Amino acid sequence: MTKRDEFDVCVIGTGAGGGVMIQELTAAGFRVVALQRGPFLKTSDFDDDELRTVIRDEVFSPDQVETYRYDDQSPSETGKFNFTAHCVGGTMTHWAAWSWRFRPDELKVLSTDGPVAGASLADWPITYDEIEPFYQRAEWEFGVSGEAAGNPFGAPRKKDYPNPAHPGRTASARIAQAARKLGYHPFPTPMAINSRPYGGRPECAYGGACQQYGCMIGAKATTLSVCLPKALASGKLDLRSKAMAREITLGKDGRARSVRYLDDQQKEHEVFARHIVVAGNAIGTPHLLLMSTSGSFPHGLANVSGLAGRNLTFHHFAGVGFTIDEPALSFTALESHVAFDDLHASDPQRGFIRGGVVAEVNMPVKQPLAFAVYGFPGYPAKRAWGHDLKDYLRKFPRATTIAGILEDLPMETNRVDLDPSVKDRYGLPVPRITHRQHPNDLAMNRWFTKRCLDLADAAGAVEKWPAAAFNLSDERSAAKGGIHLHGTCRMGNDPKRSVVNRWCRSHDVKNLWIVDGSVFPTSAGYNPTLTILANAYRVADHFVREAKRRNL
Amino acid sequence: MSQSVSRREFIVQSAVYSGSLWVLLNTPRPRALRAAQQSTRREVFSDAEWKTVEAITGRIIPTDHEPGAIEANCVNFIDKALAHEDAKMKPLYAKGLAGLDTVSERRFAKPFVDLTPEQQDDILAALESGKAEGWPAGDVAAAAFFAAVREHTIFGFLADPKYGGNRDYAGWKVVGYPGGGHHLGGYSPAQMIGKEKIKTAWGEEV
Repeated sequence: MTKRDEFDVCVIGTGAGGGVMIQELTAAGFRVVALQRGPFLKTSDFDDDELRTVIRDEVFSPDQVETYRYDDQSPSETGKFNFTAHCVGGTMTHWAAWSWRFRPDELKVLSTDGPVAGASLADWPITYDEIEPFYQRAEWEFGVSGEAAGNPFGAPRKKDYPNPAHPGRTASARIAQAARKLGYHPFPTPMAINSRPYGGRPECAYGGACQQYGCMIGAKATTLSVCLPKALASGKLDLRSKAMAREITLGKDGRARSVRYLDDQQKEHEVFARHIVVAGNAIGTPHLLLMSTSGSFPHGLANVSGLAGRNLTFHHFAGVGFTIDEPALSFTALESHVAFDDLHASDPQRGFIRGGVVAEVNMPVKQPLAFAVYGFPGYPAKRAWGHDLKDYLRKFPRATTIAGILEDLPMETNRVDLDPSVKDRYGLPVPRITHRQHPNDLAMNRWFTKRCLDLADAAGAVEKWPAAAFNLSDERSAAKGGIHLHGTCRMGNDPKRSVVNRWCRSHDVKNLWIVDGSVFPTSAGYNPTLTILANAYRVADHFVREAKRRNL
Repeated sequence: MSQSVSRREFIVQSAVYSGSLWVLLNTPRPRALRAAQQSTRREVFSDAEWKTVEAITGRIIPTDHEPGAIEANCVNFIDKALAHEDAKMKPLYAKGLAGLDTVSERRFAKPFVDLTPEQQDDILAALESGKAEGWPAGDVAAAAFFAAVREHTIFGFLADPKYGGNRDYAGWKVVGYPGGGHHLGGYSPAQMIGKEKIKTAWGEEV
């Protein structure tokens, strides 16, 4: 065996968290090796073929397998429950690009609302002021389009968005009008999609294939289009695709020593690094830690607290589909063009704490198969076939959807662990999701569904129906997986009650870092990605500064 | 007008950006796609099975004042899907189709294709609810068979015509979908609010 090659840093995962770490650490001169389980796809590998990409999922995560159970007593079912992408660039490759800053109170839920029975509420160990400069950095790196003064209920900011807001479609205008009629303050949804040429990437063509698609022209900002080209150009990055990390090994000194991974032929490789950054999302990260057992860590690496995998949060969504009396043109342009935040702030008088943003979401109405497959369950037809089905399908051109992106309360029992019997194609135990909703989620979901129905009425809805694919209609209903994945390696100051510290560094293993949605102690009522990016810029900044001071 | 010019320029730029957008748009995809493009020759179904599946699809998305699954050739989509991506569902179809005729013969003393549309709907409703009298015991449930054909029919009606269904864009015309937006060159802000017409994949201005 040749003398082993040791990198400065190994980053596992190239999505929002890993991609930024790779960008920043290579820029600072570190030699980085990055591992990504799926292939390195180019813009030319993407198209807007709905059957291939969305329905059959042949592009992004064809071999993903998970199990789900409601609680420890319930049987497990096997399937694909989380929306992830395994290609280089990670799940961000097929994100819709909503780009929010969390409100200051969303980082301090325990202090703001006090403890709630059955929920493991916690404050983030950082304040909004600490992360604010990095939100700004992320917005400018990713070219967010928006209207800085648009949202009177949003987080404070010191600088404008780098790009102006996008023009909306007919449905967006109708929703904005309805929101104003009800006394709300609608504004353009901030999106990391170019509204003009920016960052060497073209302006958006408004072709309509964002969420669940890779952008064919690179107008959508992703780590694949923003961070990784810079890192590759630096000459400091060894990017290894089709590399499924299966174990992080521990040295005798108690530091993480190497990562063992399998290529797509199931052949095992090992890569050594002085620091290891895990950024595999809130499912993949704890999955890897729990597979990495040793004498010192019999319950998984960096899991002395026993919390790795716990406090999984997904958000929940209160969606209402409706039709208007003119073409809605929902198949054009971005996933969302208008939002309002008047209902976001926590108000226990409503019968629940916390809240979220309400926005136009074209996901179930942007293409006909999605409309047929996702939309139908809530539509009050007698039959899901025959003339009833055909009449429903004909509503497609006039249909739109609004939804609340709602904060779910963390619970320790909601978790990811290793399935005891189901294996994936690598022979590894698949992640098992155990997840039910806190009663607060159900109460919030019902309340927001009513507000969405009111908004549909105010928009002059011809017909309206709760989107049953999303809503939590009864006590046993629960998300089996998520589009937004967070919480399973929460950050905190107390090593007994968190997995990583305020710098997203393991309490137990000093050269192990976790930089993705896993570290969110609570989920907030906004799409999470800009916060994953901002937090990664914050951690990278700290890493580089401490390295210079020889403090790592 | 200046808008549409800038769109065209934009697509040229983006082709340069992505390096091979043109190639992407003009390269045939493998498997069912290629098979469907080459012919509508039967690959999986016998003549009798083809007719029965076609009849089922015709009840799932019936023809009215506009084309339905039969005109859209959904049965061809299913035949190509079973030959390729969904090959593992071949036994489900073989057993399901045999079961369907058993139920039909028992109830109306005729094979499914010879029933009236109302009788066919009765049989399909019985399958859907899992209460089809005479359905053979075994590993294929009536409801699972019905759900599979329903889903395949929807795919055949609304997926890109390159997969063998949605003939002459029949499905997209019925639901008012012009085709994949990027293939059409994107939309202008004026098109997004209905102030400018949209050119569909089949060349119509709507």
